[in-house]
Order: sequence, then structure tokens, then C-alpha cells
Amino acid sequence: MQLKNVIESPCGLRFMLDELELQSGFARRWLLDSPMMTRDEEITACYDELRRFADFVNQVDHLYINTLSHKLCGLKDIRTTIKNLKQSSVLDDIELFEVKHLAILATDVKKLLSQHGMDTVVEIPALDEVITILDPDGMKIATFYIYDSYCAQLKDLRIQMRQHPEQQDDLLLQAGELEEGVRQDLSRQLHPWATAIEQAQLALARIDVNLAKAMQMSRMGLSFPTLSPDGTSRYEAMFHPQVKEALAQRGRSFQPVNIAYGQHPTLITGANMGGKTVVLKTLTLCQWLFQFGFGIPAASAQIAVRDEIYFCIGDEQSVEKGLSSFAAEMKNIDAVIKASRENKKLLALIDEPARTTNPTEGAALVTALLQVLAGRDMSLVMTTHYDIEPGDARCLRVKGFENGSMDYRLVEVQDGEVPHEALNIAQSLDIDSEWIDLARKHLDASPTTTLDNKH
Amino acid sequence: MLPFIDDILRYDSLSIVGLEKNTGKTECLKYVLDRLPVQDKHIAVTSIGIDGETVDQVTRTQKPEIVLREGMYFGTSEMHYRQRRLVSELIDVSDENTSLGRVVTARALTSGKILLSGPSSASSLKRWMGEMRQAGIDLVVIDGALSRMSSASPAVSQSMILATGAAYSANMSTLVSKTAHIVDLVNLDLTSDANVKVLLPLDQGVWSIDSQGNLKALDAITSLSRDIHFEGMEDCQTLYVAGALVDGFLEKVRKNKSLKQVELVVRDFTKIFVTPQQFRLFHKAGGRIHVLQKSKLIAVTVNPTSPSGYVLDSDTLCNKLSEAIGLPVYDLLKNKD
Repeated sequence: MQLKNVIESPCGLRFMLDELELQSGFARRWLLDSPMMTRDEEITACYDELRRFADFVNQVDHLYINTLSHKLCGLKDIRTTIKNLKQSSVLDDIELFEVKHLAILATDVKKLLSQHGMDTVVEIPALDEVITILDPDGMKIATFYIYDSYCAQLKDLRIQMRQHPEQQDDLLLQAGELEEGVRQDLSRQLHPWATAIEQAQLALARIDVNLAKAMQMSRMGLSFPTLSPDGTSRYEAMFHPQVKEALAQRGRSFQPVNIAYGQHPTLITGANMGGKTVVLKTLTLCQWLFQFGFGIPAASAQIAVRDEIYFCIGDEQSVEKGLSSFAAEMKNIDAVIKASRENKKLLALIDEPARTTNPTEGAALVTALLQVLAGRDMSLVMTTHYDIEPGDARCLRVKGFENGSMDYRLVEVQDGEVPHEALNIAQSLDIDSEWIDLARKHLDASPTTTLDNKH
Repeated sequence: MLPFIDDILRYDSLSIVGLEKNTGKTECLKYVLDRLPVQDKHIAVTSIGIDGETVDQVTRTQKPEIVLREGMYFGTSEMHYRQRRLVSELIDVSDENTSLGRVVTARALTSGKILLSGPSSASSLKRWMGEMRQAGIDLVVIDGALSRMSSASPAVSQSMILATGAAYSANMSTLVSKTAHIVDLVNLDLTSDANVKVLLPLDQGVWSIDSQGNLKALDAITSLSRDIHFEGMEDCQTLYVAGALVDGFLEKVRKNKSLKQVELVVRDFTKIFVTPQQFRLFHKAGGRIHVLQKSKLIAVTVNPTSPSGYVLDSDTLCNKLSEAIGLPVYDLLKNKD
């Protein structure tokens, strides 16, 4: 599983990547290709490294960061050239230029970082020897051609070229052979450095990514997570950055949520517009951010590592593929059940399963799903509108509609009974009273409405 | 030295545009490059790429080679860089890919021949020129695409040379009037500074400015609208078309009694796609068209020989055209000094 496979997840991961101020396209590609981390040690190591960058970003001044960013802007993807070098091919002028450009860039960045002891955090191999090979005149500028000083004969030919332009074609032909000889020689000298050059390129991408993540953390108010020791994930004041920003643009604020879940299935109920889906999206987002080593949108977070993460939400794409929304949803949840039979640590976040079917069968499907998954070794968080038997599950409820406004906080309740606030909320939305009043009459007339029909 | 070389040096960019193949665009470029003071000025040369010239892209051979002088900077594709016939120092390799590879920037260390194929869109060309300016280049010369004016847009280059000739039309009076039409468009006057300030950021839609200076978006009107009618039309002083200006729209403005006095504003001459007839009718009826940005037309050059072998009389052509456009016209082949 790579970041690029989940980047379009409806949980909002794309927003986080778009808000990441990466300097080079190569770093972006490298980040998108990076695999999801599933081992405690690699996640710890990743955040240790990021923490060093976060401290560093807070210490240094703006000008220094600008200089460093400007340098990293020059990072190019030269993987094809490195591959050719590894295969002992003769590099052409453009490829030699790329190698020199990267070597000078790597050396410059290394020097800049060493001013703050950061050169040991992400190690850049020393490439001074590479620069020497490609800079015979010691000019220290990142331009390149087959310099006169590589070959005395070549120098003579070029002097003749300037003196006798009429012989240029012939002289160029002769010079071309000499130049090719120089290229062969340079490529031979550079060949042993191929791996170091490759490492330097990756190190620069890693620095770019770490810097961008660190700056995103301070800009968005993200925090460093800790590893959960017991399989329970705990979030204090968790928020969804994209929703928060959208609300801020309308002059509103996001109400942060506290939540813990893990060993037992967790059922979230609550009124319409209570933010259940946002909670689920945020949990999914946080889990992925965690396993790809980003800052977490919460005041504090303790997160359990998972092998696989499933986020099941009404999925427009499947509908576009011609599946009905019900079929698409059933297929998604089916994948969770199948995966839960394998010996893997799963996290499944399921948003209002079976919501598009009739309440009687829907409630039966949800109750059964909860029973099936409760027996498995997995973390499950599910939202629902149905009144169902919670069994072993912990039940959380959105506090809901109070005094004309919505309280999005979650409270623990003893059973899964859903609040009946739809009509009040509809009224607050100024929905036509002819409709709502009539609905209220229907509700009063029948003691057991379909919504209350548990069994 | 013909006078227009001095004129070129007053601007930071020059685009050379040919109205048709074989109108002498390449001759003109050679002529200019041979005469620019390369010792005193940092000069860079590139081309608006190959996307406008599909023949060259397919055969990959027909594009003529340009002779660069020692010290000139140039931008071309990877493929053409590898085929260069001069010694040059690589300065940059862009991330941007064209159909002939990435764009390579280099400096000529000897004189010699090179095939030019630069950035493939006006926006990437603009970016490249920005980088050149930052690197201390005084003048960027662009080999423009044939019959496409995008590189000559004032948004890209400050000045231009127009190459025309018998290949564009073998009938002298047609050639003169067709060329004069283009020149008329290039030479359209700028609108007021106040209008430029307000309208420049608007890159789409049709807008109206009333006598109080109030700007209003005319959401219901596009350049293809069947009818122009909007609230406060009688008080409209300036009508701004951010996109293309086409015949139909111009005709409707002309025939609209409420818009008799209106000043019609377009972004620049490259946005005008009207026939000479409509353009003339509009002017005759007292209409005014102004632009937000304008390029300086430095010169018009002619090639009196058509590819089919038909030759117009050079002196007569130069005189007639010069008379029609009020600018000197040069036959560079004849005036070779």
C-alpha cells in the first residue's frame, strides 16, 4: 500500500498533500510512492526524524529557511541518468550536467544543514569527488560542457574553430570524437559513485518532505502522536483540517472532538447533522497520516498501528461504475469481512451501513454485521441511524441539538438508542412547516414508528 | 546597420512572427541575430516550439538551422541540443517535457548551427523568459510559430517583427490589405490607465464600465451571444471582452443603438478574430477598439518570392505596404548589406 493508492480517499488525504509545501516534484513523487508503515519501530524512527525537523524549523530564521527551500527547488528527478550510470553506459552532456547539478546541490544543502547540526539527521553522502571530476577548472558553478582542460587536443581544435569558422563542420567532427572519449572516461570515473549519487537524491527528497511536514505541523496546529501500547487509539481535541478551513472561511469554528476506540467495536449514533461522518473521516485521515508519518490534527493522539485500514462510506465512484449505492456498499463491507478472516490487524471505519435500504432489513444487517465483526481481532468504528442491539460494543452519541445549536461532542451512552431529533433539526433549518407539522402528527399518532422498530 | 536593430534593443523581448511559411521569418531571425551587439548585451534565443508547425514535428528535418554567435544563450529541446553543431555550455535542463524532450538552456562557446525548438506553450515560454531575465539576460529573441500570434502577444514579448510576403498572397493588393489588417490590430491604441488597472486581472467574461466608473460583470453575455442587452446599457462607456472577439459580436455592438458611443476593449490584439471587412465597418460606423496591452511593432519584412516561384516586384511591394501601414518595410534578402 503506497500513499498514492489512498490519496483520493474521501477522508480528505488529498487536501493534506495539497497543503504540503514541497519544493520539488521529485520529492512529491517519492512521497506518493512511499509505502504505508506498519511496524512500530519504523513509525517511531520516522517521527523522531520529523521532530528534529520541527524543532529545527522553530529555531532558524525565515531567511535561512528560504535559502534552503530555494536550493531544494532545484532538485530534479535524474533516476534514468543514475540507472544509466549504474549500467556503465556512457553518459551524454545532459546527463553529466544533471549529475554535476545534483552533486553541487547536495553539497550545498549538506553545508547549510551542518550549520545547525542537521546534516546527521538525514545523511547526505559526500560528493566532492564527483564535483571535482565534473569541474576540472574548479569553477564551482552548476553548468557543464566537455571542458577544454579535459583534453589538450580538444582545446587546440576549438581554438582553430574560432579562427577558421569555414572549417567548423570538419573540426566539429574531429572534436566530437575527442569529446566522446572524454565522456567515456568521465562515465568510468563516475560509475563507482552511482549509489552515492542515488542516495544523495533520495536524501534531498527526504529533507524536502520532512521540512514540508514540519512546516505544515506548525501552520495547521498538528501534533506528534505516540504509539498506543494497548491497541486503543485515543484522541484529544481532534479536528478535520479541511472541514475546519471550510468553516473558518464562513466565519465559523470547528468544535474539536475527544474519542477513544480500539479493543471493542465502537458504535457512534446521533442526530442528523451531528458530525458523525466527519468524526469517521477524521479518524480515517488520522490513521493514514500516522502510518505515513505526518503531523496529526489533534491536541494529542495515541494511535495503534494497523496492518490494513478500511474506510467504507457511500462511494460516488462505485455508483459511477454502474453499481447501485447499496451494491457498492455491500461489496465494500464484504471486503472487510473477508479480510477479517486473515490473521491481520485491521481497522474498519464504516459509515452508516445499509442506510439506503428499508429500516427493518437495514437494522437487521447492521446488527448482524456488528455481531460478525465483534468476534474478530480488529478495531471497528461504525456510525448508524438505526436502533440496534449494541451487544459488546461501546456506544458513543453525538451530544446533539441543544438550545438551538449543535453540540458535536461525543458522550458515552449505555445503549445504542438513537436520539429522535430529526424533526427538531428540520424545523431549525426552516423547512416548510406544512410538511414538518404533518410529520409530527403522524409520529404522535403511532406509538411505534418505523424508526423505533427495533426487532 | 538597418535602423530597427537599435529599436529592438529598447525592449527586453522580441518575437518574430511569419504570416505564412516562406514569408522569410527565418531569414529575418538570421538577419537580426547577425546584427545584435552580442559583445555588449546578453542575448537569448528560443522558439515557441514545434506545436504550431506539425510538418516539422513529423519530418523533424525541415526546420531550418539558426546560426548562433559565440556568447549567445539559447533554449531548445533535448533532441535538438544533441544535434547541435557548435560548442556550448549547459546551464539548465527544465522539468517541462515537450514532444522532443525537455527544454535545455545553454550558452554558445563558439558560433555554430542549432535547431531551435523551445518551450511548447505561451505560458511555459513566459516562465522560461522570466528565468532568463533573472539570470541577467537583456534581450530574448523568440522565433514565433507560423500563423500563430501567441508568442507575439504583449503578455509574452514586448516587441515584434512581422514577416509577410508573396507566400501569404500572390496578389499584391490582397497581400497589402491582409497585412495592413494585422498591422492595424497590432497598433490598436491602449485604453485608459484606469481601465487597464481594473480590467487586467479579469481573464474571462464580458464586463461593462459605466460613466461613474462602476464595473459590472455581464454574466448573461458571451462573445457568442445572439443579442446584447443588459441593464444600464445606455450608460455603458466601456465594454470589455476578456476572451476572443469575433465577427458576430463586433457586428452586434455596431448595430446596437445604445452602444453607439461605447469603447470596446480587448485584452490584446491576439484576442481579435474578426475579418478585415467587419473591422472596417466597425471603424466606419465610428466604433473604437482599444487594448489593455500592446506590443511594439518594430518592423515589417517582406519576401516577394512565393514558393511556387511567383515573384512580386520588391520595391513596389515595399512602397505600397509602407504606405498602407505607415511604417518602413524591408526586403531583407534584397537589402543584404
